[in-house]
Amino acid sequence: MTSASPEPTPTGPYGVGVGWRPEIAGFVAGLPGLRFVEVVAETVNPAGPLPDGLAELCERGVTVVPHGVKLSLGGAEPVDPARLAHLAGVAAAVNAPLVSEHIAFVRAGGLEAGHLLPLPRSREAVAAVVANVRRAQAELPVPLALEPIAALFDWPDDELDEADFLTEILDATGALLLLDLANVHANARNRGGDPRALLDRLPLDRVAYVHVAGGAEQGNFYHDTHTDPVPVEVLDLVGELCVRRRPPALLLERDGHYPPAAELRGELDALAAASGYPVVT
Amino acid sequence: MTRTRRDRAAGADPAAPGATRPAAPPAGPPPAPGAAPADSGEGLAARQAELVAALVAGGPLPPGFAPGPVAAARRALLRKRAGDVARHWPLLAAGLGAGWSATFAEWAAGRPTNGSLRDGWDLARELRDHGRLPALGAEELASREATTRYDGRTTPRPRRLPAVARAGGAVAVQLAGRVRLLRPAHR
Repeated sequence: MTSASPEPTPTGPYGVGVGWRPEIAGFVAGLPGLRFVEVVAETVNPAGPLPDGLAELCERGVTVVPHGVKLSLGGAEPVDPARLAHLAGVAAAVNAPLVSEHIAFVRAGGLEAGHLLPLPRSREAVAAVVANVRRAQAELPVPLALEPIAALFDWPDDELDEADFLTEILDATGALLLLDLANVHANARNRGGDPRALLDRLPLDRVAYVHVAGGAEQGNFYHDTHTDPVPVEVLDLVGELCVRRRPPALLLERDGHYPPAAELRGELDALAAASGYPVVT
Repeated sequence: MTRTRRDRAAGADPAAPGATRPAAPPAGPPPAPGAAPADSGEGLAARQAELVAALVAGGPLPPGFAPGPVAAARRALLRKRAGDVARHWPLLAAGLGAGWSATFAEWAAGRPTNGSLRDGWDLARELRDHGRLPALGAEELASREATTRYDGRTTPRPRRLPAVARAGGAVAVQLAGRVRLLRPAHR
C-alpha cells in the first residue's frame, strides 16, 4: 500500500477532470469526454446511496477520487479513527483508485479552525505528519496522495524549505503527491519564493494528479478562493509543470459562485490546451 | 531562534525536539527524531492550539508570527465560514443580502464554530432577539424551530411531536416531520 507507483493505472486519474459538487452535478454529467472527478469525502455517506449524479458517473466508468478536507493529518494528535474509517468507506463506495488529503491541520485544543492551516516546516511537524499518514495508510484500501496547501503566513521557526519539507514526508511515507498549482502560485505570491524553482525541486514522478483553481487579490494578498476565475499565472504554471513532467491528470476545483456553464467549459478547455490532454467538454 | 513561545505556552512539552530551554524535563525519555507524536507532539500540539485560538477564538498572537498575515488568515477563515453557514442557512444569508458577510463576521469573530448548522441558528436567534432578523431569515428560523429541537448547546435533534414555531411574525407548523409556513414574516 505504501509503494508509490508513478505510472497512471488504467483506472487512475487521467486527463482533465473537475471537482464534483452537487451544485454543478448537471454540468459535470454533461461533459462527454470526462474520465475523472473528485468528490469531497466528508460530503459522502459511505453507508447510504451515493449523491444524485455521482452514482451515474461511477457507472459510466468515470474515476472518482475522494478528497478529504477534515482529517487533520498534520495535527499533533493521532488522526481520528472514525474520520479515517469514513474516508476508507467512501473510497470503497466509489471504487476509488486512490484518495487524497492535505498536509495541514484543521483543529487543535478542541477548536475547529474551519479550514486548512499550515504546519511549521520542522522535523517535529514532519514526524507528526508521517506518523498520521502511516496510520491512514494502514486503514485505507487504496494509496493516499498528499496535497500541500496554500497559506497566508509562515511559522516563525521553519527548519526546512517547502521542497525539503514535502520530500521528506513523501519519502518517509511512500505517499503520492497531489500538487495544487494554485497553491504553489498563492504561496509564492504571499510568502515569497519562485514557483518555478519549487517545481524544479519537487519529486514530480510522484504526482498522482494536479489541482488547478481560481483566486483573487484582496487586501494585498492572493486568496485561493476556488470561487473566482483561474488566473493566467496559474495556467502558466500548468505549462511550466508539463514541460518538466506532464502529470497523469489535472483537475479544476470550483467551490462556489458558479459561473455560467460556458465559462466553466472555457476553464476546462484552457486546462486541456495548457496540458495537451484531450478536451472533455 | 526564539524560544520565548515555549515559556508562554501553557502545557507545552519542554522535551520537544530542539527545545533547549525549560530546564525541568518531564517524566520519560526525550523523544528521538522521527518518534511518534505521542512522544514528540506535545510541544507541537500546544503551539497548534495557540495558533487556532488566535485565529478563531480571539486568543493572543503566538510569539514570532507576523501579525498582518495572521490577521489576513483570520479574515479569510471568517469568509470561508460565512460561505459554509450560508449553504446551511440560504434564506438567512439571502435575507441579509450584501450585508451577510459583514453581519456574520461581526457575530463570528472570536467565537469558535460549533458547526455551520448551529452557527447559523445561533446567529439567527441573536438577530431575532435584537429585531434585526430579515423576513426570509425569520421564515427559515421558524421552519427550523418547528422541525428540530435545539437547546443552544448541543446538536439539534428532530422533533418527534407536532410543533408550532414563530419568529419575526412568521409562523411555521410541523406535523409528522413535514413543515408548512402558516404565516409569512413581517415585511
